Amino acid sequence: MVSSLAAAALACGGGTAGTPSPPPPTVAVGATISDLSGVNELLAADIQFTTDILDQLFVQLLSEQADFTEHPPTFAPELALGYDWSEDHRGLTFHLREDAVWSDGVPITAEDVRWTWQAQTSPEIAWTYADMKDAITDVEVVDAHTVRFHFREAYSTQLLDAIEGKILPKHAWEQIPFSAWRQRADWFRDHLVTSGPFVLGAWRPGEEIVLERNERYFDRTKPKLDRVVFRIAPDAAGHTEQLLAGTLDFACGITPADALRIAPRKDLRVVAFDNRQYDFVCWNTLRPPFDDADIRRALTLAIDRQALVDTLFKTYARVASSPIPSTFWAHDPNLRPLPYDPAEARRILAMKGFSDSDGDGIVERQGRPFSFELTTNSSNRNRSAAVVMIQEQLRKVGIAATARTIEIHALSDANRKHDFDATISGWAIDTTLDLTPYFHSSESAGGYNIGSYQSLEADRLLEAARRAETPQAALPDLLRLQQVLHADQPFTFLWEPQRLCGVRTDLIDVQPNAISAYFNLPDWQRRARPDRR
Amino acid sequence: MIRALVTRLTAALLACWIVLTAVFFLLRLLPGEPGAVFEDPRVPQEHRARLRAVYGLDRTLPEQYLRWIGGVARGEWGYSLSQHRPVGQILRESAPKTLLLSSAALVLELGLGLALGVAAASRAGTFADRAMRVLSITLWSLPTFWFGLMLLAAFAVAWPLFPPGAMRSVDADGFGLGRRAVDLLWHLALPAAAIGLPAAAATARFVRSTVLERLAEPFVQSARARGLSPHRVLWSHALRAGLAPLAQLAGLSLAALLSGTIAVEVVFAWPGIGRTTFDALVARDYPLLLAGTALSAAFVLAGSFLAEALQAWLDPRLRDA
Repeated sequence: MVSSLAAAALACGGGTAGTPSPPPPTVAVGATISDLSGVNELLAADIQFTTDILDQLFVQLLSEQADFTEHPPTFAPELALGYDWSEDHRGLTFHLREDAVWSDGVPITAEDVRWTWQAQTSPEIAWTYADMKDAITDVEVVDAHTVRFHFREAYSTQLLDAIEGKILPKHAWEQIPFSAWRQRADWFRDHLVTSGPFVLGAWRPGEEIVLERNERYFDRTKPKLDRVVFRIAPDAAGHTEQLLAGTLDFACGITPADALRIAPRKDLRVVAFDNRQYDFVCWNTLRPPFDDADIRRALTLAIDRQALVDTLFKTYARVASSPIPSTFWAHDPNLRPLPYDPAEARRILAMKGFSDSDGDGIVERQGRPFSFELTTNSSNRNRSAAVVMIQEQLRKVGIAATARTIEIHALSDANRKHDFDATISGWAIDTTLDLTPYFHSSESAGGYNIGSYQSLEADRLLEAARRAETPQAALPDLLRLQQVLHADQPFTFLWEPQRLCGVRTDLIDVQPNAISAYFNLPDWQRRARPDRR
Repeated sequence: MIRALVTRLTAALLACWIVLTAVFFLLRLLPGEPGAVFEDPRVPQEHRARLRAVYGLDRTLPEQYLRWIGGVARGEWGYSLSQHRPVGQILRESAPKTLLLSSAALVLELGLGLALGVAAASRAGTFADRAMRVLSITLWSLPTFWFGLMLLAAFAVAWPLFPPGAMRSVDADGFGLGRRAVDLLWHLALPAAAIGLPAAAATARFVRSTVLERLAEPFVQSARARGLSPHRVLWSHALRAGLAPLAQLAGLSLAALLSGTIAVEVVFAWPGIGRTTFDALVARDYPLLLAGTALSAAFVLAGSFLAEALQAWLDPRLRDA
């Protein structure tokens, strides 16, 4: 008994000299180019930064890990401590932890999970990712801490589909009907109840977002920082200046050129990490000669992608060869990017009937010069530079490309309507590795298959991969699909960029990853007491 | 005088309505959909159709216009598609910040411009006058965006006298009122300088030429002949006579400063109406973009109206024009 009391006194920091003053709060200050677009995930715009912040405010059933280089991603317990499957693999039961509470002290239960699913699938709310819940027929509350998902069929990404989305507070947010959510998004900010490691301490739109330690978070050891401040500054170039000036502790999304300025500084370091993104040239297969796979292959051979990467990204990118980036377990390791080989490109063009009959340096076929327009969005500096460089490279094999940069919405509109010759764009893919939206022929009308790529074999492989019961079972189809796309070259895959953060050296344990730059934000620590500002 | 002001006010309101109407229809000519959710192929067509109905985008363009302009007349600006909250609330938050920045820049412009302009006029033809003219034309010709970046690089990074952005320190919540005011001025200095200094350069040139013109006029020569001191001749006669065009310049400057803050607000992360409008443009947030444009237009027209009213007040010949 005595020893227990002594231990309690020590734990409370008690001493003989009276109550000591509490330690100063540990704070880290970062920058973001975009503001938070809302606190309700189902209504907020699909912006990476908003997702990153909501990840800190709300828990999910399981937390997907960024360990998908060697195998499909694993899942760490979060609200659910574990799960099990029914025999027919169409029932998935989650066992929720009993010590999880909302920031207002109300327990988080299976009712919250079921109600969240109802909100996610409500057509009145029209959540962007509602399609991930298409195969879930019901979410059953077994008891307060057990919830069962029922699926229409067994398929490879059931678990990912089930855990997608933050669990929302039924007791706090059911006060307004789903039909009113879209027009009352600010209501959720005023009635914010959260469950993650942080609470929203302050949100001054256009100025700053302040995350504060959630004292009711079930893992009492986290977060290690008391407060994290994100200052909103839309000019990314200014972030580097603020880092250099010492008014920021971290900034993610800096450019390779900025990284070179930060690297020599002893008080700063550059953290580079892999991304789930790749950029590409999409050829519009509805427009000849891009409907010919050999011509597309010649175009890829004529583009010096290593030179593009070296110029634009220094060492912070690699040449891409597949729609599944090389950092994914399902990437085909035998796939090598086509080399830069202008001689072979010229040979293919000649074989296809292109020759420079009038000596103007541009090849023609049936009297028509090989010329086209290469577009991209003006707001992306790397792509804007790349269209000009590619224009020069193609000129060397007798192809006249006209570089054109367009405002992003106008470009998207043109791309959706297939009103382009070739365009540089990029995808950030999720770990389901479902490439159907990008390459299936059915996605040409109104979907993401903007180049109208059509291949019966690719369609079959995409459908088979989707039907596979486990991610591993989909691997043969995904490998074959990459070979088909490599042969057909509907895209010329350009680069897989890394993301870069500038971080003050006294801010430790900062480990961004392909899922989020702030993936382990609750683990971040300060080595020394902040004395600036 | 009152009749003239009423006429000008009516003209300003008419101009404002024309601007709003033009912007409304021009925005609809832009390719692409309003708001990200309408462009996302993942969102099923029927969901998108329902959302269009929620936001009134399923109606014909004339219907949308009438509903919108009617709302504006009642002071209802609609609902932001990107921030998901009432546009009026967003404007109430951001407009005072832009007004503060523009006012600080205006004080800098008029104070410095007037002092330098008079000083140069009184030393016309000297080295100081020539130096001022070269300096002012240089400053005036610098793009605001670039000048802001240079100020930031010089006085926030290389020589960190001022903060590189934002309008308050991270721990400003814990400050007393006085320290908070000082903190605000400290953050205001560079963005106000980025807008105010080039404008001050232009004002200085204008003041110099106005004062020189007045100094050559007979009534000033007469004042000199009466033995008044050069200082009094300069300030009480030449400058006073040039006040009417200067007042007009001040009104127009306010309008120009307000409408020219977008670049500076972006560079210095100043959360004002310019940045809000810029963000709305990027997000294709029609209601917010329209309201931001309308407010900027109203500011410009108010500035012009103020300039004309001041000039009419100072120059009786214009009152009934």
